[in-house]
Amino acid sequence: MAATKRFAKTRRAFLIGTGLVGGALAVGATLAWRRVANAETFILPVDAAKGEAAFNAWLKIAPDSTITVAVPRQDMGQGIYTMLAMYVAEELDADWSKVKVVQAPISVIYGNTTLLADGAPAPLKSVMVTVSKVLGLQTTGGSTSTRDGWMPMRMAAASARSMLLGVAAAKWNVPFSELTIEKSVIRHKSGKSAPIGEFAKDAALLPAPKFATPKPQADWKVLGTSPKRLDVPEKVNGAAQFGIDVRPEGLLYAAVKHINMVSGTLQEVRWKNGVVPKDVLHQVRGSDWLAVIATSSWSAQKALENVELIGGGDNATVLSSDVLTARYNEILDGGDRGVMPGSRPLRREYANRGDAPKLIAAAQKNQVVEAAYSVPLAAHATMEPMNCTVRIANGKVDVWCGNQAPTLLQWLAASSAGVSSDNVTIHTPYLGGGFGRRVDLEVVRQALACAKRTNGKPVQLIWSREQDMRHDAYRPAVSCKFTAVLGGNGTAGVSAWHHKLVGPSVMKATAVRLNAAAGGDFPPDKTNCEGAADLPYDFTNFKVDHAQVDLPVPLGFWRSVGHSFNAFFVESFVDELAFALKKDPYLFRLELLKNEPRFAKVLDAAASAAQWSAPLPSKNWGRGIAIAESFKSIVAQVVDVEIINKKIHVRRVVSAVDCGTALHPDNTKAQISSGAIYGLSAALNAKITLKDGRVEQGNFNDYPMLNLAECPQFETVIVNSGEPLGGIGEVGLPPVAPALANAVFMATGKRLRDLPLSLA
Amino acid sequence: MSVTFVLNDKSTTLNAPDDKPLLWALREDANLVGTKYGCGIAVCGACTVHVDGVPTRSCVTPCSAIAGKSVTTIEAIGSKSPGGFNAVQKAWIEHQVPQCGYCQSGFIMAATALLEKTPEPTDDEINAAITNLCRCGTYPAMRAAIKKAAQLKKAGA
Ligand code: FES
Ligand code: FES
Repeated sequence: MAATKRFAKTRRAFLIGTGLVGGALAVGATLAWRRVANAETFILPVDAAKGEAAFNAWLKIAPDSTITVAVPRQDMGQGIYTMLAMYVAEELDADWSKVKVVQAPISVIYGNTTLLADGAPAPLKSVMVTVSKVLGLQTTGGSTSTRDGWMPMRMAAASARSMLLGVAAAKWNVPFSELTIEKSVIRHKSGKSAPIGEFAKDAALLPAPKFATPKPQADWKVLGTSPKRLDVPEKVNGAAQFGIDVRPEGLLYAAVKHINMVSGTLQEVRWKNGVVPKDVLHQVRGSDWLAVIATSSWSAQKALENVELIGGGDNATVLSSDVLTARYNEILDGGDRGVMPGSRPLRREYANRGDAPKLIAAAQKNQVVEAAYSVPLAAHATMEPMNCTVRIANGKVDVWCGNQAPTLLQWLAASSAGVSSDNVTIHTPYLGGGFGRRVDLEVVRQALACAKRTNGKPVQLIWSREQDMRHDAYRPAVSCKFTAVLGGNGTAGVSAWHHKLVGPSVMKATAVRLNAAAGGDFPPDKTNCEGAADLPYDFTNFKVDHAQVDLPVPLGFWRSVGHSFNAFFVESFVDELAFALKKDPYLFRLELLKNEPRFAKVLDAAASAAQWSAPLPSKNWGRGIAIAESFKSIVAQVVDVEIINKKIHVRRVVSAVDCGTALHPDNTKAQISSGAIYGLSAALNAKITLKDGRVEQGNFNDYPMLNLAECPQFETVIVNSGEPLGGIGEVGLPPVAPALANAVFMATGKRLRDLPLSLA
Repeated sequence: MSVTFVLNDKSTTLNAPDDKPLLWALREDANLVGTKYGCGIAVCGACTVHVDGVPTRSCVTPCSAIAGKSVTTIEAIGSKSPGGFNAVQKAWIEHQVPQCGYCQSGFIMAATALLEKTPEPTDDEINAAITNLCRCGTYPAMRAAIKKAAQLKKAGA
């Protein structure tokens, strides 16, 4: 096993003339630097036998010059391993073929400070950054990983670079400033050269410089190019290990069944004829589930076919989707009945400029445009179903689980097994899709409960696809109503915009799911109105109201979260206004964006790449446009559709994206189409419906996703604005549904206001 | 309670009940975990293997049905090619197809079988043959990679 190297106070100290010691630093840079230089968190395990030398928490270098980068984020397909390794390769001018990554151990230094700050209301932001540092929440989500690693990881590598060059300068007795690195080889102008591995051991013993500044963009050689992804080779020959693939010695398997409703408690377990199948080694009962342990996951699964679970209790629900929709509409019309028995909606204002209600009240009927929209519950349907493997032996807990929040897993495992966090090891293999699903801890809780029963033997719990589909933490159902007033001297002919939404708070639901003690009103949830309250469009009289309800349904973060529905609502309604004003939808948006040149540029880029005004092949075709900002990136999309026998066929999606700077352009494009395809599946087909408290869908046959044959042609244009970095993992999703609905309108004259879109 | 067949070119006997799906026998009894479970009902294709060269959804194929047959999994599909990757795998790397990677074994098995039968497939033939599902939406790169693989194969890779 690799020994953990701690910072040694007795490091051989000789000063290095790095010239990298900064003067007055921006606060952000100082904060980032703390994540490099903090000696207490010098915790990257090194294999001393191999002569590896660790420079800080983020990287180590072996004698053969292999650079190993500690990545504290999880790769679920978004390419983050590669991206974070590129930061290090850039600053060290490394040979890409000799860069590797390892999952970082759990430590405060790796906490995702960007994620918590992004989710926090403005006054709380700095507090949240501090909190997440203290808690060291290692999470992957909110399209934040690239942004979060941006300063500390480049600084960490720049610091290592100066240490390496410092040693080379001393050994060769030449000025530091005359040294360069090329493809992991240090060179002096005299012609002297040697690979970095030769200096690594000595260099790592140096005190880190007081500060290290990353390269200016003009000097980049790696960032902005598209090196091959590090994870691809092992993902084409079956070698990549996912959570479901781990095989610790002596492994037992478990399967789980939940009660037949989305909330309630398990009242009674009824085995067929009162007989427990002989394959069942143990039964483990939870609040709303029963797991069985066997020597094969197939036999565990099969055993569960013989059991009926009776659900009930105070929190049992009989909610149906049509009832939910009706209740939402009632609330939008001012009703005061919530969804949970005896509850009331919590009404809050998320934006208010001018006086939209007054203008609406005073407007002539023919100046008013109204429309109501809705989206259903949606499942994540990650290709790898929920699973978790746990071993509790000799006071130590090992958890193997593809997850988006290892720190939370560590807390849960420690408290569940009654050991300190030091005795818990979280192994994070590749994630077979995340999309927000693997923040949830239910499967981990269950696997821990199972592992307590097996006397030190590891247990792998796998949810069947049906359990995964029926007991997800869903994207919530949300409905809304718009009222706009045309005319007057409002921007682009719109004088008032009033948007009223109803739906649950995902933040609150998640907090309650993680910790049942959480509850109460909760502060306003930014995800309710992200992409609705913060529009780039400059409406003078603008109001966004939200009625928050609690639902008896498990909810979670679903790729792009609030943007996944708000962009659909807003960009569809903007289209309605364009048509009401007899304006071209693209030009109308440009007019609305006259004070937002960055947005206008992205919109222009998409329209021109798609040849917006070029004729369509025939009159059953349509073309639609939409734009949305999410996770600090702006994406505009143009979608072409063909309608055949009332069926919508998506033919082409042209996107333009401004994520500040595309650091790996090929991956940026891959993520934009990935997000768009996920969004198209939801826009065209996929919905989760409830009937008497039970999810009606159970597998990919009734929750269909786009396949190869249905996949449109993609074209993506990158607009590098040089603005601060934005995310890319989710941002391709928000504008695709409205662009599609707008295209359907153009083709058919029918305005579809509910997802999934249907002409039937 | 046991089944004998050729697994990745080796005669193999697995101690598995007749009705156990091949998928689970591979993953649990043969310790070959590259073949994945996605749906269990023959919809997603994550579990695709070759049985006597025919792409087969192993989640609905009982062990009893493969007695005496030859099964090839993702772990061995490239074993006869130089570098250990067949033309499809090479094209997959060149086009950087995988994202999360979970569905990819199944797609590569399906695409390899397609090119055996139809060396230069048209888009329609690709659409008809590759019905697997990828939640990450790697389809655009995949289509390009299948075409590339056809070229590589023709050139003898
Ligand atoms: S797991 Fe066999 S087809 Fe989905
Ligand atoms: S690459 Fe993730 S499901 Fe296909």
